[in-house]
Amino acid sequence: MAITTVPGTTRRPGRPAPYPPGPRRAGLGRKVRDNLTGHAFLIGAVLCFVVFSWYPMVRGVVMSFQRTRRGETTWVGWDNYARIIDDPSFWTAWKNTFYFTLLALVLGYAVPFFVAILLNEFRHAKGYLRILVYLPVMLPPASALFLFKFYAYDPSEAGLFNAILTALHLPTSEWMQSPGMTMPAMVLASTWMNMGSAVLIYLAALQNIPGELYEAAELDGAGVWRRIVNVTVPQTRLILALLAMLQIVATMQLFIEPLILANGAGTGDSATSVAYLIYQHGFFQNDLNGAAALGVIMLVVLAGFSAVYVRLTAKQD
Amino acid sequence: MAQDSGTRTLISQAQFRRGRGRMIYWTLLAVVVVGFTLVFIGPLYWMVTGALKSGQEIAQTPPSLFPKDPQPQNYVDAWTNLNLAKLLFNTFYYATGAVLFQLVLDTAAAYSLSKLRPVFGNVILGLMLATLMIPAMVLIVPQYVTVIDLPILHLNLLDSPFAIWLPLVANAFNIFLLKRFFDSIPEDLMAAALMDGATPLRTLWSIVLPMSRPILGVVSIFAVTAVWKDFLWPKLVMPSPETRTVSVGIYAFSGGTPMNVVIAASVIAAIPTVIIFLIFQRNIMSGLTTGSLKG
Amino acid sequence: MSVPQYRKAAALALVAGLGLSLAACSTKSDDAKNDASGKVTITVDCQPVGSQKELLKNWNDDVAEFQRQNPNIVIKSVSVGEQCNNPPDFTARLAGGTVTDIFYGYMTDLQQVLDSGQAMDVTQYVNKDTIPTWDSVDPALKEVFSDGGKLYAIPVKNYSMGLVYNKVLFQRAGLDVNNPPRTWPEVRAAAKKIAALGNGIAGYAEYSAGNTGGWHFTSLLYSQGGEMLTPDGKKADFNNAMGKQVLQNLKDMRYGDNSMGSRQLLQWGDLLTNAGAGKVGMFIGAPDTTQAIVSQFQGKFQDWAMGPLPGQDGPAKATLGGGEGYFFKKGLTPEQVKAGLKWIAYQKLTPGKGQFDYVRAKPQNYPVGLPQPLLFAGGSDAQKQELDLRKANANVDTANFAVFEGNPVPIKGEPRNAQAIYAVLDAAMSGVLTNPNANIDALLKTAEGKVNQLLAAGS
Repeated sequence: MAITTVPGTTRRPGRPAPYPPGPRRAGLGRKVRDNLTGHAFLIGAVLCFVVFSWYPMVRGVVMSFQRTRRGETTWVGWDNYARIIDDPSFWTAWKNTFYFTLLALVLGYAVPFFVAILLNEFRHAKGYLRILVYLPVMLPPASALFLFKFYAYDPSEAGLFNAILTALHLPTSEWMQSPGMTMPAMVLASTWMNMGSAVLIYLAALQNIPGELYEAAELDGAGVWRRIVNVTVPQTRLILALLAMLQIVATMQLFIEPLILANGAGTGDSATSVAYLIYQHGFFQNDLNGAAALGVIMLVVLAGFSAVYVRLTAKQD
Repeated sequence: MAQDSGTRTLISQAQFRRGRGRMIYWTLLAVVVVGFTLVFIGPLYWMVTGALKSGQEIAQTPPSLFPKDPQPQNYVDAWTNLNLAKLLFNTFYYATGAVLFQLVLDTAAAYSLSKLRPVFGNVILGLMLATLMIPAMVLIVPQYVTVIDLPILHLNLLDSPFAIWLPLVANAFNIFLLKRFFDSIPEDLMAAALMDGATPLRTLWSIVLPMSRPILGVVSIFAVTAVWKDFLWPKLVMPSPETRTVSVGIYAFSGGTPMNVVIAASVIAAIPTVIIFLIFQRNIMSGLTTGSLKG
Repeated sequence: MSVPQYRKAAALALVAGLGLSLAACSTKSDDAKNDASGKVTITVDCQPVGSQKELLKNWNDDVAEFQRQNPNIVIKSVSVGEQCNNPPDFTARLAGGTVTDIFYGYMTDLQQVLDSGQAMDVTQYVNKDTIPTWDSVDPALKEVFSDGGKLYAIPVKNYSMGLVYNKVLFQRAGLDVNNPPRTWPEVRAAAKKIAALGNGIAGYAEYSAGNTGGWHFTSLLYSQGGEMLTPDGKKADFNNAMGKQVLQNLKDMRYGDNSMGSRQLLQWGDLLTNAGAGKVGMFIGAPDTTQAIVSQFQGKFQDWAMGPLPGQDGPAKATLGGGEGYFFKKGLTPEQVKAGLKWIAYQKLTPGKGQFDYVRAKPQNYPVGLPQPLLFAGGSDAQKQELDLRKANANVDTANFAVFEGNPVPIKGEPRNAQAIYAVLDAAMSGVLTNPNANIDALLKTAEGKVNQLLAAGS
């Protein structure tokens, strides 16, 4: 769930420039040829989109109304959806996924922003700190998660976190074994290993804020917090909004964290995510059609999110 | 971004130079440096030394800071039993191919959409951008059944690197980044080239691409990261032990391998990228921050 | 941005190096079926992986010898990982049609293989001529690989579960190493004593993740006399007093006595890692788990012994048995099927050869003398031969398994749709092992609902 860098912080995409002023007496043949050239350049990428993106999207919807048994495919109407929704884990998975998304917004979204603000103020050790924050992003995700699973979240006193808590005379936790801690623990691990990219993006955005704005705010008597609220946030609004969207889309796909940290479902289904449920149905229960139906449901939910997002950002402009 | 010590940020420079501000600044800096080192290097230290401990030592309370009886054998076992050389090779091989495919096909597409603008170009772009909102997980099942039996061709791409390379080309985000960058290249340059009778391919090669190095770097980094970070897709389309990526390979072995060996494998797997990152970190950092933002 | 020259060069070299290998790597062998010279080629999976050095060497030697004896057959071995059937990978291979011509599967996989459309009916080919020991093979095993009177796979391994225990820990805890607990209350008492040794030692350890929790739940339920499904296979049948007793026993040990260690959510390798490190007193498993503890998890054979599966207040009513076999991929030519049968007969079903080559296995770090694989029916010729060979070449103390062998418990197979059901019951197991206030009734009720739903979907 890497958070990727984002374009367009400073300005909206400009209107397309006018058609290149080619020779004016271009005939029909020339136009056709130009178009053909244009499409020739497009064809490779478009084919990949057709085969691996657009077609699967249609296919997913089609599959969700079919059932394949012993090599024979039949139409079954809404059966797959009914079965998926009847799965006692269905609502739990959604609840868990939303909970994770929410926690990740608090921790994984806000923390990098404040870390970036902090780093941006320092005049020393900048490069070092930046490398530190980005270092975990370089680990293979499985490596980082095994580190948490085996060492940090060991439920006995031998675990790293519990050892630290004991040393500080704080109550210890069973981490992944305690249903209440499962999600926070997963968010913590996920934030640790992913926040580097977000911090870098924020840092770049912060550097684009004109210094005079802060100066003016300071002259108006605004303290540090007020300056963050009144200058920093509005100035980075677009990137904040974009990252929020990307983060939501990414966290909704929560998969590898439950798979590795919680061995799948976790204790009492506390780690089951929608993505994991798709995987369970598709590849453990031999039910690709049900998994496709769940995929379609997820698509609809995300489309809802996107619609809200577009409404909100459109209003702001 | 390293040379910006002159620009004004949230708190003015002057405040840091005065007595109290100065003290706060240095205290805060020290706290942050120590804190970040603990938070980000600490776990890595724990990982490297933990993999040297014996099974008994791992389970001991409280945990020991240094391995008392280091077991380098864990690293040897990890290297040989998991065939890490092969796993790492696979991962880099897929990453390289992903970069090449994306650079060639996505650049061509973005160039066409930005400069050649054939009919229906905007429709195609719109359809591409629409996929941005569709997370990979939604399509995982139909994509998977597509890959095991490609429409019309009836090819099975399982265990073939194309199963990783080609779906990554369908990356609207990269095309969008590239297109926006190309949009900013002045039209007169293009027109001049056209006047000289240069073909679109020639223009792309000798005018557009040389100007686009930063964005190409960014796209390459994204391509590598995507392969490096992806888990479920390679797990599904590369089921054989010979074709697995590092992440998938370590996961696959974790079930039947002692914990310390799994951690040792995780350490080894992380070394190459961390080294590459440390060598190229300045380029990667500046590429990520400036390249994508100014696009 | 100006890139220092050396960096550019380094990057270039990197790319060039990888690019070269790019060309070198993409060689995929297409399996020729019957080539001009009249040779029959078959691909076979579940070749041991590189880390299992001796097993791999044995396999390769077997292939070489078999091909020498049958010059017209070519065996292409494929390794699919340490665990030959990892459910998601297996599903992927089935759905993708990338299974080998002759492919490994669990007894519980028959339905899934049939559903995938990859199964081949081999009834007409299997007889005494193709597999000389066929008549000695336990008919019950043939039955589990049959559907509607048609045979789809050849059994090559069979096991049943008992109580595996660590003799060293037993001794230290003052327990009788030759007299393992026979009932669950006895297990509980013993676990308490072993856990009292401290040092993070668990008296009794149990799975609760990665489908293994459900797998063991099934075995524990069988020991109580319960059933996973109703006789017609359409409904769950574990939400009753016996199912509750299973979870109650675990809850008592976990939270009543605190004798199961604090680390839970274990799956296969996790428990065996702990066992190999001497941190587990008892667990239930098949005889060959001791082999995994030794070969993969740095344990020692002489530490481990085995008794029968305990029952609630007497011997267990039944124990879980399972096994493995080789399926045949749809569309093979009759020659390929026959070649495949010949290979299986040679490597898996001939006393003295392949997996029964005890003379070869004896000096290796591979146990001879385990009461496994129980392929041949009691009293059959092949069984006698195999038993004699085993006794003559035993390299583990057969006394360690004497209690297990001397007290046989009726064996019951795994339920239909086993893997999916196991996944559901993981939640019940993890619930009771990680939550001191777990509500056993609620856990079982949820699991029952899920299993019923799953069964309804599958039919």
